[in-house]
Amino acid sequence: MSSDLTIAQLRVTYPGPPPVRAVDDLSLSVAAGECLGILGESGSGKSTLGRSVLGLAGEATVEGTIRLGDLDLTALDENGWRRVRWRRISMAMQSASSLNPVLRVGLQLAEPQQVHLDRTRSEADARSTQVLEDVGLGEWALERYPRELSGGQRRLVLLALALVCDPEVLVLDEPTSGLDPATRNRVLEVLGRLRGQGGRALVVMSHDADALEMLADRVAILYRGWLAEVGPAQQVLDRPRNPYSWALLNARPTLASVKDLRGIRGDPPNPTEVATGCPFAGRCTQEIEICGQGRPPLLPPTAEDGERLVACVRGGVVPVLVGRNLSKSYAVRSGFGRKEQVTAVDGVSIEVLEGEVVGLVGASGAGKSTLSSMLVRLLDPDEGSVELEGRDLLAATGPELKAARRRVQLLFQDPFEALSARLTVGQAVREPLELQGIGDAEEQDRLVRTTLRAARLPADDDFLARYTHELSGGQLQRVSLARALVLEPKLLVADEPVSMLDPSEQAKVLQLLKQLQVERGMAMVLVSHDLASVLRVADRVLVMDGGQVVEEGTGSDLLMNPRHPATRALLAAAGRDLLFELEETATG
Amino acid sequence: MARPAGRLRERRRGLQFPVIGWVGLVLVAVFVGLALAAPWLSHYRTTELAGSPLEPPSAAHWLGTNGVGQDLASQILNGARVSLFVAVLAGGGTLLIGALVGMVAGWAGGVVDAILMRIVDLVLVVPKVPLLIVIGTYAGPSLPVISLIIALTGWPPTARVVRSQVLSLRRRAHIKAAVGFGASSRQILRRHILPEVALILSAGLVGAAGRAIAFEAGLAFLGLGDPSRASWGAILRDANAFGGLFFTDAWKWWLVPPLVAVSLLLLGVTFLGVGLEQRINPRLTRHTGP
Repeated sequence: MSSDLTIAQLRVTYPGPPPVRAVDDLSLSVAAGECLGILGESGSGKSTLGRSVLGLAGEATVEGTIRLGDLDLTALDENGWRRVRWRRISMAMQSASSLNPVLRVGLQLAEPQQVHLDRTRSEADARSTQVLEDVGLGEWALERYPRELSGGQRRLVLLALALVCDPEVLVLDEPTSGLDPATRNRVLEVLGRLRGQGGRALVVMSHDADALEMLADRVAILYRGWLAEVGPAQQVLDRPRNPYSWALLNARPTLASVKDLRGIRGDPPNPTEVATGCPFAGRCTQEIEICGQGRPPLLPPTAEDGERLVACVRGGVVPVLVGRNLSKSYAVRSGFGRKEQVTAVDGVSIEVLEGEVVGLVGASGAGKSTLSSMLVRLLDPDEGSVELEGRDLLAATGPELKAARRRVQLLFQDPFEALSARLTVGQAVREPLELQGIGDAEEQDRLVRTTLRAARLPADDDFLARYTHELSGGQLQRVSLARALVLEPKLLVADEPVSMLDPSEQAKVLQLLKQLQVERGMAMVLVSHDLASVLRVADRVLVMDGGQVVEEGTGSDLLMNPRHPATRALLAAAGRDLLFELEETATG
Repeated sequence: MARPAGRLRERRRGLQFPVIGWVGLVLVAVFVGLALAAPWLSHYRTTELAGSPLEPPSAAHWLGTNGVGQDLASQILNGARVSLFVAVLAGGGTLLIGALVGMVAGWAGGVVDAILMRIVDLVLVVPKVPLLIVIGTYAGPSLPVISLIIALTGWPPTARVVRSQVLSLRRRAHIKAAVGFGASSRQILRRHILPEVALILSAGLVGAAGRAIAFEAGLAFLGLGDPSRASWGAILRDANAFGGLFFTDAWKWWLVPPLVAVSLLLLGVTFLGVGLEQRINPRLTRHTGP
């Protein structure tokens, strides 16, 4: 007698003042035998959702419908709930404090069975023993007090408690949070065995994406009580499409992660505010005007996505820049006046998503600089196309090109060359604004100063009047960076931005770049021959060799499993071999 | 950082103007002063028969009189006006055309560059004197016409120098950056290229002015100048055409002064040009590389 759990237009509001809407217009269903993972940060409304499903929302007002099979749960009174809770639907709480510390585990496990299933104590104990064994504990646990168990064991007892009446739907609230890795794995193993057992539906609410990856058939991503994305677990977790899901999953650490962690930009929202438009607006990197008008509906983003639904008016994360099949060759004079063609870039395709940092690494002469010049249209490719925000950059002329120039900027390798020796810092940083005709003199001055401050530079009159030869290399590169950022581009292509600087300045400028990239919601292409520093910053890395992209992957992929010789050479140069040799001597 | 210090030293050196340049500047300044003050300094009109023929220098006639009794001092002073007028007009015209063609060719590159450079080659081989004789015959040999012809035939060297300079500038990162900010070609040329080539242009202006002065004097000497104006070349021509000049002492005050004047002015302009070249040269070599 198993049935589906269906939630439709659920709204849960805690009374004020001011009232807090914890779950907002949420529709979701779990089929019998299925495991649904609900992923969200703390405060995303996971627990409220769980409690509402069990009719434990307390003083909060619950609107909308929750159905278990044919039964409308929201219409139930306490008597009605008593027949449903434990037997048909139960919840394993996050906190072990929901166990009574003065009662033995056996008694606590027997109580719901005696109340709801009219079992005798011995029948109940037999069932309890069986469930405890299922969760990896044994009969011995019956006689223990909760305080005599470890945190992990208590968590397993809570799980056993939820299972003891054999419910159709089991809701798990953060089953793995706060556990050490070994215990966590044990809990996950138990949950894995429970999955799909006897047609039971499982709802796992967690902020642990890896746990959900192991358990869930489908994953829903929750933000401010709103469903950002839902679909098959593999699809959603590996290739998230909603900007929030993308940012959230991009920020998660993995065991082999070498990337410096950065959260999602902006502050978590104030829970008392009810968003009129998309709840993620304001933190989203690809926000457009219509994002603030009305809730984005859950729709399949593309035809082939099938079951996946994404709530985003732009159909999910969009690429800010797409370069297709780019080629460029130069004529080089060889001996006897003959001309020879040297191919610098050979059929390279590159895609940069909104808010993403793409690393472009390769030895010198691999075509990195030629490619970056083509991406910002300082160089026209022989073949191929460049699309910036969906528009053909290579075909743009006149005002259209000028507008496109605002959206993409190049940061040059040598700041000394990139800044005219004739201009002061103030004049140099103001130049883009003047050329684009942005603001009056006062407004321009204000923008120049705020941008310089953002680049961690002084913004007083004295500094603005300095010439480039009066500044250090690190300061110069920051001035150059401020000049590139003053137009607030959507994409910054940084061509070896730190290679001219000393190690300490390198670290500072790289950190600054990453920080500004996150704060301003820019996408960035970071070009470098130094894989070590790129791995720290980039979400995805492209390895170039001989004008072609020979390997692509996340930093961890490349570090753990480099396939192309060029990648191995770069890793060796970055000291990977040393690292792994040390490890081998340690283990062997 | 070692480089900012190096650049600083280079700047300071660049600001030093060589002695030879100062000498040239003083010479040119003296002539400009004389030319400006000519209406007050000269007591006679250039065509006026102010005294008896071949009068030696005196208080009334500082440089004596010529074969028909015209005051030579007044003629020399007015000759300076003619020379400098041509220098400014022709030099300026040369500069304007040369700078424009050079900057456009260097910046646009490709077909535009190729076409403009062929035009440069073409103009370079046009013989100036016959052209001037032909045009002078039809349009009348007035000073503006002469200046215009000098400018129209004299710009190619300036254009070439400017073009090569722009070719090296356009590869520099700060110019590329400006393109990246959405600057139009006109904005780039005005904001970045023009200030960078300004020094070169100033040297070009001086060179063109010198050539124009010499050319105008030569034309006048050949009788192809403006017959209504007393230019130095015309004074020399008159003196040279006076039969038996060297049997009298008159060559001393009739032939020598215009010769000295034209030589000194040309020397001054050349020195000034050399001074400017020396000031610019380190930059030139740095931009274009070894």
